[in-house]
Amino acid sequence: MFNYRVIALIKRELREKLLSKAFIIMTILLPVFMFGIIGIQTFIMSFDSEKSVVEIIAESETIAENLKGVIGEWNFIKDSTVIPMINSMSQMEFDDYVNKKQTDLLSEKISGIIFIPNSALEDKKIKYYSKTPKNMRLLERIDNPINRVLVEEYFQSKNINPEELQYARMSVNISSFKISEGEEIKEEGYGNLILSYLFSFLLYISLLMMGSMVMQTVIQEKSNRIVEVLLSSVTSKELMIGKILGAAITGLLQMAIWISPVILVASTSWFMLPENITIDITFLQVAYLLVNFFLGLLIFVGLFATVGSIFEDPQDAQSGMWPIMLLVMIPFFISMSMIENPSNPVATIASMSPFAAVIVMPAKMAMVDVPLWQIVLSTLVNVATVFAIFPIAGKIYRVGIMMTGKRPSWGEVVKWLKYKY
Amino acid sequence: MAALEVKNISKSFGDLKAVDNASFSVPKGSIFGLLGRNGAGKTTAIRMMMNIYMPDSGEVTYEGIKAGPDFNSKVGYLPEERGLYKKMKVLETLLFFAEIKGKKGRVVTKMAKNYLKKFDLADRMNSKIEDLSKGNQQKVQFISTLLHDPEVLILDELFSGLDPINTNIMKNMILELKEQGKIILFSTHVMSFAEKMCDHVAIIDHGKIKINGALADIKAERSHRNISLNYEGDISFLRNNPIIENISDYGNSVGIKVKQDKDIQLLLKLLIDNNVEIKKFDANDISLEEIFIDTVGQEVAQEVKHV
Repeated sequence: MFNYRVIALIKRELREKLLSKAFIIMTILLPVFMFGIIGIQTFIMSFDSEKSVVEIIAESETIAENLKGVIGEWNFIKDSTVIPMINSMSQMEFDDYVNKKQTDLLSEKISGIIFIPNSALEDKKIKYYSKTPKNMRLLERIDNPINRVLVEEYFQSKNINPEELQYARMSVNISSFKISEGEEIKEEGYGNLILSYLFSFLLYISLLMMGSMVMQTVIQEKSNRIVEVLLSSVTSKELMIGKILGAAITGLLQMAIWISPVILVASTSWFMLPENITIDITFLQVAYLLVNFFLGLLIFVGLFATVGSIFEDPQDAQSGMWPIMLLVMIPFFISMSMIENPSNPVATIASMSPFAAVIVMPAKMAMVDVPLWQIVLSTLVNVATVFAIFPIAGKIYRVGIMMTGKRPSWGEVVKWLKYKY
Repeated sequence: MAALEVKNISKSFGDLKAVDNASFSVPKGSIFGLLGRNGAGKTTAIRMMMNIYMPDSGEVTYEGIKAGPDFNSKVGYLPEERGLYKKMKVLETLLFFAEIKGKKGRVVTKMAKNYLKKFDLADRMNSKIEDLSKGNQQKVQFISTLLHDPEVLILDELFSGLDPINTNIMKNMILELKEQGKIILFSTHVMSFAEKMCDHVAIIDHGKIKINGALADIKAERSHRNISLNYEGDISFLRNNPIIENISDYGNSVGIKVKQDKDIQLLLKLLIDNNVEIKKFDANDISLEEIFIDTVGQEVAQEVKHV
């Protein structure tokens, strides 16, 4: 299989791909782009909450006074993202007051008015008036000081000691622990969740990118008639193997470049990560990821090359590649859904099914301890998929690349399988 | 001795029999012309020789061995529809095509540069293919078929799309290669080239080989009592003349077959007496074009009758 012809083909593919602008830009820009998106998101979020003026009006004067006393303890008040104006007035006065403030509310001079009626001491029901009453971020924040004041006021009359009051005020604080075999139980941070997201995303991008890159070159060779010159020197099988391996090596290299900073961060203590973003990944896992990715490239690049061979016009190919796009996209969405519940049974099945295993298993592995037999099975399924699709893909490729003229129907493509070529 | 042999190859695409039980052989050190109209089956036959198509039946052998990847690496193949990687550089392209034939290293690079010099492309060595003119791209493609020093050259429609100067360069090049003892097979529908260059020809029509053999023999067989005539004037008086067996109009020339050897002189006299201006009068000769039209045209005529 690896004769001088295949090696020459791989060399050409590598030279063409690694030096292409698209590859260099993508390899460098994707991480920049991803961090950029996170940055922009943070930026926008910091932007929206800048200086919202909120009026808090309590029916009871004591509540208003107490609120003035404690509200300054909260960070969002300290850094003045929310400027509170606290007053007290009766229900009747308040109704008029809201009407009076209508223009200020509409022009967003003040973000909203909160009214704390006396009845809140019994049912904790308060009212919020605003042009955008569903500003959850603001309400979640302001909720805490108000709750505290109400709780304190409520228990004041009940003669309870301050320690017990302190307990009642506290909200639940959950620490998550990941249970895994053998090792001691460790507190689990967000690191692996982020890692899982990241891998799913990179896998998805890279498979699609390498796949469509190869598809383009196959179409190009076909429509430029280079393929006939090539076939006078190499067999179609050698050509296909050369193409797929060329792309797989390129993809692997790109992935290695992408994930090396992650591994660096995880394996050294040069970078100080926040405590709740610990990354827990072993060398074996990285090796598995790369092997799995390589198999995935073989499968999907092979499929894309096959689709490319059927068509002569890139536009036709766009419409012809949707079945393969689905094979990549559905598993990707399964991985994404798994982030909410890693032991989702659909994901478990998908992680050991042909085509989906490539994408789902790595995401699953980053989040839960997958039994070894499942990992082995998933890998075997991938290998079996490679062996199952290649004779078929090779046959379609063989016929397709020399077929010019009318765009073939799927029925005709099936017929090709019976051709003697 | 025949070095390259095509034995009873057939190939169908659906209901269409593109090549139908075709056989011919190409002797060592000869130039072989595969002649036929467009769509006659030339390209399909050649693709089967190159293993690009698998024959439905029959086989191709080179020096007694069934043609396969080893044979392919001894062949320089120029397909009818030329193709190069547009973004690759000239020298890079040449070296790549040599490498997939198993030739690489300093010697090949040097040879590539020599060829580029010969074809006046030395200064374009590092240009991208897409920046070259069409004619220059053709030259690069031709060099790529020669660079690995093949034993056999298979050139499909070699002269299509070449201007007269480049055509001449190619012609000389091919004659030079013949001197070096290479086997050259080319397909064409331009008979004048084939007539001047080929030692052996095969005429293919509707996938079937109609005539096959040494050009000299084929001509000798058909040239007896035949006159190839170029003229100006009116020769309609020859019709119904008792010395004439038949007259065929080939457009450029007219082929006249007389009944007996001695009638040739009589015919010449007759033409002069009737004030026909004679441009060419070849006795006992027939052009390849005439043979071709006779062979291929007859079938067309028969087909029409059947309908």
